[in-house]
Amino acid sequence: MIADDPLPLDTPATVGESPPVILLRQITKTYLMGTEKVRALDGVDLRIDANEFVAIMGPSGSGKSTLMNIVGLLDVPTSGQYWLAGRDVARLSQSEQARERGRRIGFVFQTFELLPRQTALRNVELPLVYSGVRDRRDRAVEALRQVGLADRMGHRPNQMSGGQRQRVAIARALVQRPALILADEPTGNLDTRTSGEILDLFDDLHAKGQTIVLVTHEPDIAARCRRVVRLRDGRVESDDPSGPDGGTVSC
Amino acid sequence: MLIFANVNTAIEQIWANKLRSVLTVVGIVIAVTSTITVVSVVQGFTGYVSDFLQGLGTNAMWIWPERPGGEAGKRLGRVTLDLRDVEALRAECSTLRSISPLIPRPSVAVALGRTEITTQLEGVSAEYHAIRNLPVEVGRPFAFLDVERRHPICILGREVLRKLDAGDDLVGRTLLVDGRRFRVVGILAEKGSVLGNSLDDLVLIPYTVAMTMYPATRTSIALTARAFDEEQVPEAKAQIVSLLRRRHRLEAYQPNDFQIRTQDELLTAFNSISIAATAVLAGIVGISLLVGGIGIMNVMLVSVTERTREIGLRKAVGARRRDIMLQFLTEAVGLSLLGGGLGVGLGYALTAIVSLHPQMVDVAVPLWAVALGFGISAGTGVVFGILPALKAALLNPIDALRHE
Repeated sequence: MIADDPLPLDTPATVGESPPVILLRQITKTYLMGTEKVRALDGVDLRIDANEFVAIMGPSGSGKSTLMNIVGLLDVPTSGQYWLAGRDVARLSQSEQARERGRRIGFVFQTFELLPRQTALRNVELPLVYSGVRDRRDRAVEALRQVGLADRMGHRPNQMSGGQRQRVAIARALVQRPALILADEPTGNLDTRTSGEILDLFDDLHAKGQTIVLVTHEPDIAARCRRVVRLRDGRVESDDPSGPDGGTVSC
Repeated sequence: MLIFANVNTAIEQIWANKLRSVLTVVGIVIAVTSTITVVSVVQGFTGYVSDFLQGLGTNAMWIWPERPGGEAGKRLGRVTLDLRDVEALRAECSTLRSISPLIPRPSVAVALGRTEITTQLEGVSAEYHAIRNLPVEVGRPFAFLDVERRHPICILGREVLRKLDAGDDLVGRTLLVDGRRFRVVGILAEKGSVLGNSLDDLVLIPYTVAMTMYPATRTSIALTARAFDEEQVPEAKAQIVSLLRRRHRLEAYQPNDFQIRTQDELLTAFNSISIAATAVLAGIVGISLLVGGIGIMNVMLVSVTERTREIGLRKAVGARRRDIMLQFLTEAVGLSLLGGGLGVGLGYALTAIVSLHPQMVDVAVPLWAVALGFGISAGTGVVFGILPALKAALLNPIDALRHE
């Protein structure tokens, strides 16, 4: 848990400093399962600053996915407050939510979720279509270069390996220059070697200043992150800012 | 921007499912094809008939004796219209430029040497050429004297010549009409055919001769008349009605014992036929659009289910509900426009095939029918695409991304 909150409730951004990328305060989420109320999240406080590389871990049922959905603006909390890059986003309308999601958050999924009939370039351009950016091609090419796929732009997903597909997906997440990359089990469908390459890529992006939140249940994946947040029963069980292996990681 | 992307996606989807797309739009194809074909054919006929009626002159009128229906008709005495009526009309109706009796016989035998054929005959006056616009191509028209003196002469239509297997040199020779000798003095210019009936299958003789040959027609003459100009048609009609009623001694409560039709009224009557044809068309089109629209709705619902994860992904990268809605609407409209395009093409082809029939009038596909075809198909796409598009737009992105 965050022991001591440096920010007053109504002004999440400290003057002169860049605001935290994510600031959650007492987030709860209750579902109705039949007639029974299920508390998926039970008062989560979490602060993630710019250029952090955070793993969120927890067994299934710990509220990991629910937290990711709320952070990713795919879901709204039942109660609590959420500032994303300084903006209060807990109670946005559907279309504002979509807009913020598209601009500030880059998703990376376990199953890549590329459009099968479109080239890598077109896949990467997709978020820009919805935000109305004009120089889509240039930005998409730039993002593909960042993930080392400048020579595969015209390929379709079925002409690429799993690792390459996930790189395309990461380029798609990067193309909006998001405040946060939210990766949900990004290596879950990849072999060990390819997983290593993808994690190297995340390291690389992190070194360039990208804020990354990675949801995983594999300890050795989490070990690559600078900070590990563990969830259990809808609460933050532990928040280890020095990594799971006792602070041997260099930043 | 988004529109381009949507159109692109729609085309990709339709192309990726070619067979399914084509089968889906069959209903729309039928609707648009029938619209194009029926509209073109009806337009063709309407144009032809109105040209034909216009060719008769906008100031032409037809008058014939007819017993009115109902009790009132039964109580009238003999219903007649004879030469004295014609003379009275000629003398007293100031608005009439010309008037000609018309004694039609639908079937007469014409013999030339050993060849004998059947054709129709009209007993007419010298003014008839001008009233009906039937110019003589070879030889001469009737003169007033021919009619007055009952000269046994005739003028033939081109079709009669063809049937008799004779040429222009028939002028001056003699043939038999219902057993009487007639000298051919002229040949009419070719008129073509209306609704499969040749207008050239016709023998004209002076009406005075016709009345001698067929005595029953003496008291039952039909007339064609022509007012000086179009503005005078209503007045001419009123004059004729008033004069004939007076001559036939009809009381105020009795109905007319004759009919009078102006060219304008014939045109209206014909237009009501084409309106009926259009109503039948509207029925066919409505039903096939309903079928086609439901087909599109069905296939779009399937498409939404198939692409649930894609929808989830699009939402995750920033698509709003209205963006997804528009994407699927564009696709539905794309499908229906595909149907519209195929229908227009097929309509053109059918119209071309119909035009190959030798007795068919000139048929052209009017541009507005093409526009209408595309319009109704696009409209169907919008109407029946809304439900699937709404379904897609309202999908919860989390569930959509988890969809198997």
